[in-house]
Amino acid sequence: MKTKISLLLMLFFSICSFAQQVEINGIVTSESDGMPLPGASVIIKGSNRGATTDFDGKYTIMAEVGEQIEFSYVGFVPQLITVGGEKQLNIILKDDVASLNEVVVVGYGTQKKADLTGSIATVKSEDIARTPSSNVMQSIQGKVAGVQVVSSGTPGGSPSVRIRGVNSYKGGDSPLYVVDGMFYDTIEFLDSNQIETISVLKDASSISIFGQAGVNGVIIIETKNGRIEQKPVFTYNGYSGYQNAQNVVKMANAEQFVTMAYESNSQPDIDFVNNAIQRFGRSRVNPNIPNVNTDWYKEILRVAPISSHAIGVTGGTERTTYSVNANYFSQEGILDMKNEYERFNIQSNIEIKLSDRFKIGTNAIFSNATQYNPENGAWFQAYSAVPILPIYDNTNTEATTTPYSDATLLGYRGTQNPFPTMEYNNNQLKIRKVLTSMFLEYELVPEKLKFKTSYSHDYSTISERNVRLPYFISSQSQRAQSSIRRAELNYSKQIWDNTLTYNDTFGDHSLTLLAGSSYRDYQDNSFEATGNEIQGIDLESSWYLDFANPTTFNEQVKESGDREYSIAFFSRLEYSFKDRYLLNATIRREGDGRFPREIWVTTPAVGLGWVVSEENFMKDNNTINFLKLRAGWGQLANGFLGGSAGTRTVSTTTADIGDTQMNGILTTNTFQNLKREILEETNFGISSRFFNDKLSLEIDYYIRDTKDLVLPKDIPITAEVVDTNIGEMRNQGLEIAANWNQSINDDWSFSVGGNIATLKNEITRIDSEQGYFDTGEAEFRQRLIVGEPVNAFYGWEVAGVYQNEDQVAADPTAQNEASANNNQLIPGDLIYKDQNNDGKIDAEDRVVLGSYLPTFSYGGNLNVSYKNFDLSVAVSGQTGNKILNRKRGEVIFTNDTNIDADFATNRWHGEGTSNSYPSSEGRRKAWNQKMSSFFVEDGAYFRVQNIQLAYTIPAKSLGENMPEIRFTCTAERPITVFSYNGFNPEVSDGIDRETYAVPAVYTFGVNIKI
Amino acid sequence: MKNINQIIKQLTLMLAICTVVFSCTDKLEENDGQLAADDLDFTNSDDMILPLIGSYSAVYSRGWEDPLLIGVRGDDVNAGGLGDQPQFADTDLFIYDNGFWMYNQIWENFYGDIVKIVSSRETIQLYKDFAIDDADLDKADKYMAECKVLSGFTHFQMSRLWGDIFIIGSSDITAELDNGVKTKAEVMQYISDLMDEAIPFLPDARPNERQDVSGGVTKYTALAIKALAQLELEDYQAVADVTGEIINSNKFNLYPNFYDLFKKEGELSNESLFELQFSDYGTESGAENSHEYGPFGPSNWTPVVTGASEGWGFYEPSLKFIKFMLDRGEMTRLITSVNFTPRGIDEITSDPAYATLPSFISNVTPDGDIFNDYSRAMFASGKHYLPSIDLTPGRTRYGSGKNLLVIRYSEILLMYAEALTQGANGSAGSADQAVNEVRARVGMPSLTGVTTDDVMDEKFAELGMEWGVRYFDMIRLNKFEELSYEGRIFTAEDKLLPYPQAQLDLLPLNQ
Repeated sequence: MKTKISLLLMLFFSICSFAQQVEINGIVTSESDGMPLPGASVIIKGSNRGATTDFDGKYTIMAEVGEQIEFSYVGFVPQLITVGGEKQLNIILKDDVASLNEVVVVGYGTQKKADLTGSIATVKSEDIARTPSSNVMQSIQGKVAGVQVVSSGTPGGSPSVRIRGVNSYKGGDSPLYVVDGMFYDTIEFLDSNQIETISVLKDASSISIFGQAGVNGVIIIETKNGRIEQKPVFTYNGYSGYQNAQNVVKMANAEQFVTMAYESNSQPDIDFVNNAIQRFGRSRVNPNIPNVNTDWYKEILRVAPISSHAIGVTGGTERTTYSVNANYFSQEGILDMKNEYERFNIQSNIEIKLSDRFKIGTNAIFSNATQYNPENGAWFQAYSAVPILPIYDNTNTEATTTPYSDATLLGYRGTQNPFPTMEYNNNQLKIRKVLTSMFLEYELVPEKLKFKTSYSHDYSTISERNVRLPYFISSQSQRAQSSIRRAELNYSKQIWDNTLTYNDTFGDHSLTLLAGSSYRDYQDNSFEATGNEIQGIDLESSWYLDFANPTTFNEQVKESGDREYSIAFFSRLEYSFKDRYLLNATIRREGDGRFPREIWVTTPAVGLGWVVSEENFMKDNNTINFLKLRAGWGQLANGFLGGSAGTRTVSTTTADIGDTQMNGILTTNTFQNLKREILEETNFGISSRFFNDKLSLEIDYYIRDTKDLVLPKDIPITAEVVDTNIGEMRNQGLEIAANWNQSINDDWSFSVGGNIATLKNEITRIDSEQGYFDTGEAEFRQRLIVGEPVNAFYGWEVAGVYQNEDQVAADPTAQNEASANNNQLIPGDLIYKDQNNDGKIDAEDRVVLGSYLPTFSYGGNLNVSYKNFDLSVAVSGQTGNKILNRKRGEVIFTNDTNIDADFATNRWHGEGTSNSYPSSEGRRKAWNQKMSSFFVEDGAYFRVQNIQLAYTIPAKSLGENMPEIRFTCTAERPITVFSYNGFNPEVSDGIDRETYAVPAVYTFGVNIKI
Repeated sequence: MKNINQIIKQLTLMLAICTVVFSCTDKLEENDGQLAADDLDFTNSDDMILPLIGSYSAVYSRGWEDPLLIGVRGDDVNAGGLGDQPQFADTDLFIYDNGFWMYNQIWENFYGDIVKIVSSRETIQLYKDFAIDDADLDKADKYMAECKVLSGFTHFQMSRLWGDIFIIGSSDITAELDNGVKTKAEVMQYISDLMDEAIPFLPDARPNERQDVSGGVTKYTALAIKALAQLELEDYQAVADVTGEIINSNKFNLYPNFYDLFKKEGELSNESLFELQFSDYGTESGAENSHEYGPFGPSNWTPVVTGASEGWGFYEPSLKFIKFMLDRGEMTRLITSVNFTPRGIDEITSDPAYATLPSFISNVTPDGDIFNDYSRAMFASGKHYLPSIDLTPGRTRYGSGKNLLVIRYSEILLMYAEALTQGANGSAGSADQAVNEVRARVGMPSLTGVTTDDVMDEKFAELGMEWGVRYFDMIRLNKFEELSYEGRIFTAEDKLLPYPQAQLDLLPLNQ
């Protein structure tokens, strides 16, 4: 590592050699808050020399006396300074409030921020770079009101991103990513260091131009690029650190477990304990328990490293701009098996002005990643494995491989030990992506009419290799034959867009008119084969199907493929009058072959804005610097619903006829024939800035309806489930984001910001006879009910625990249970609330127990800088959501397993011991295993998201040729506070069974810039 | 002027682009990667067998819970797996929770299969519509008749469990549902009629004589299913007639070795009228297609072949059955039906009346596998046990590749015998002859003047643990006292399973 850095430094130093001019350095700050402006451009007029400011707004440039230096930054008034011989030039840029020239990238173009009428939030590069993660989206957690990011702990895992709740049951919730104008479903290939800005388009009027791909929101990412006549800037950004599991769930220890086994009154469970004593001996402390006390979670966890190194150069000449980057990222998993992620990216971005009217550009990314997937089953196995089982069982002489213990040898149903799966399974993915695009832009009428055509091709391959090594521990814990599954998946996505843009100004009127077409061709193909009996399986060099027994491929070779086309025509009008009255209107007509019932769909959208602060009565107001009222309405069609067959289809099958396999076919009796869901959203917003722009405040309120909601409908008798348009859903919420920036003096400055979002998700219509719609598994029922949130947990409400026989005898529901169902309840059993007071507990007494969607989420950040130090703290949290603790609920399927310490400690074990937890005996009874509020827990949490302390050594401060160096210490997710009985309150769908624990990450980083 | 020309040129270029874009719109009609049912080539009569095999694959692929739930309520068997699946154990005690996943799963399994079978039959009809040759037309009729038999079998299992059910005769489910729920008697009559429709087109052969679909259904399978339906209808004369026809065909005989009948040696024997077929194709690894026999097996054993997997201990022959067999002096049928554990043997001998057991009672099977103690159950089901030495080398799954027998000739003989004792006239010999043929195979002495009770005892001994035969006989004959054993109390309300809650929500059903 060390040698790598010094090598790079030497490389950079040798390039840097200028002379004869004066060296000027200084700092560029913003007038309103005194904060330094990183990334401001410093260009010598009429030359090809230039620089950009660093993280702290500092720059260095060589100039001759008499030359003019232009300092500029988006959203600020540029300044021109003539060099007079001074060595230091500190520049204070004025915010360009009057014209608000800051532009925001919108679909197929840019728009002045002041002219926006939709809801768009922006996150800047410095806030993104603080988060050590393989995925850029992790860094916006808690930063944007209305955007919920659910972290993933898996190495290389992508967090799930939800914008303004859930719009579709079926259509997923992942947003569209637009990276430098190209469209992607995922962006795990992007390196955080390369990103200039992230803009989140939240409302339909902003999204509409993107059509059905953008239905879940659009995230526009602009990567860093050079500027015309900017001298090359070399950067190195790197960090390295480790990840550590947080909030590890405490499990019942051997003593608690044995106590509960005896209390269960289940003879098999008591027998199993005695079997363990026979096999592993008695504890000297307590002779009634086996001499084993395994903490399985502790055993399967480890501390895992994470690191990232990126180098890049950006710059520009008279006619071209360029950016070339390389990045290496590696992360191991905290689960103690081979699970890791390693990615190497190279990226280049070049734009050339061929003439004043003709511009071409190309962007290419090659991303090469190797991922080893964890065996997530290990998380659940570690939860359920009994503590009286050791990891290794040396009394097992039959084992021919590592003598891991096997719980079936004690009598348990499952082998329980997670280690065989972790050791003998190997899941490798090689993910290679080539993402290329080209564009050509021609001004038909200079400055007025522009034609642009762009083509992009996203070609990705995933090579999967799942190796299953043979082992023998016991007849129940064994794998007789090795196997290798190989799968080749490839995706080819081509997009060809053409747009014509006209813009003009007449007097007080300004107008931009866009028309375009978009043609998409998406293909995917998967080919897989599995072979057994691999020769030389012990050597990784033999992990090829070539070494498998060829006769074993029988029926284990599969191929499937799909090709989808869609085509769209769209148009947008942007109009403003006196910069005060704003109108944006969009229409898009989109055809998609996956919807044979309704290939074409047209969606309109419109946005209105009134910049009140431009009115004469508000002008030159020192308190309110800017005030805009916005309103938008729009429709979006959801295309993420899977293809509709539109007709009965045929699938192949086989039957064994006289010990040979004969081929057959089956015809479906039902088929999917969907209309697209239509989202209709109304958004009202206020954008404002106060007190000399120190305070900025954005408020948005939205109501979003999903019409023709698609739900998986059970077709009676056929046992087939068919997606059908049968409902409506509404999301509504209020989003507020506020920021305060202030510079106290030359040394001290700070900014503080916060955002909150509310979310109310409800089903507004269900077209079914019952008026509801069941989802989830039958044992863990979720139900869609009008007026309740989507996928609400649905079951019985626990009212307490029977404390004594008298209480059972006095309760009519318990008496009914005994007489009607032969089920005699006893003390220690749960009391369910008889919701309809009919004296019996049955299906009619079920109620909504909560939703996995948070109703309130918040985030905040504080940045303080003092001289060369800066400190930032970000927090986030959410409330109002519930988590189904399925780890506990699984007792319905297997009840001889371990349980968490919380249950063991709080269980009912005698009158007065608990009024919310059942007894150990009760835990094993069907009555107490019903889906109830006992298993549905509060998912609220508060988290310190990120703390970063940084120190910057300005360029040349340590010597003539020294670059700018910045050191950072980062703690990501160091503290999370919650009451849920699990590792992690972040569970995307609210059902926690075997979620990969999300670790805390501690890193040390270095950034160098020349 | 020049400028205008240039603009026109540029506009022409853009127009060309637009044309290209628009011409792509016909791509939207394409549907890659799927095969529509209408796109099958119905003129190719050789493909006509494909939907038929589809029907077999539907019927063969039974969930593990299917035979378990069908059989568990009888006095021949108890729910094992104590401490696991408590609602399955409750079902054995006649405590029914209509939210129990197994009920709904089995409902969906069988109805799902029925829909696949009727759809396949309709697909074969489409092939027939395009067929010209007489041979192809006959083949179509035969295949459709086979589908009817498979549909009859699935309807029969449904109606035995739930009584009144929907009859599904076509893929137009809405229309079928509009016909409403049919009573159990109507369903049984429907099955019987459906078999009559099928019989003329079916091969006059034993299943194992078939060349095209070895082990597939024949005329005699249809007759057997008709007999079963008539038995439920208690039309004993019809039962005697139909079973008599099977007996008089002289095509069937009892497999000499009762123990081997339930092992791989006994697959597709001359005794088999209907059998679900599975295979690992004699290969060490690679694809295999097995029924899940795990629930029937012991959860602790020492197999002869090291590494052979054990089962789950979910299906435990009852003490009542074992003592009944001991009382009768049964050996072959007892050791074929029951695998003993040491704990189980101790449990039997703890009853003074059974303090000394015959020497053949052992926890070592005739094939040498040793059944050890395990907590979940005391005995395992021998008819579903495949000795570890019968496993194809390399395969370790319990019962890997073993067929599952459904209807055997001995059941036909005993149905015939019962019908006669119930007063029917038979043309295939006497009740004594039929019963004694069954007894002779297992070395049991002949009986004379058999009564209905004798036949029921014989069925108990012969067909224990198989497909709920015992349970459904007892509820048909209202012998609730037999089902009220080992602490259970059976009442008339306990006969049928409740409709699953999920189906009550979905269908016009009234409990």
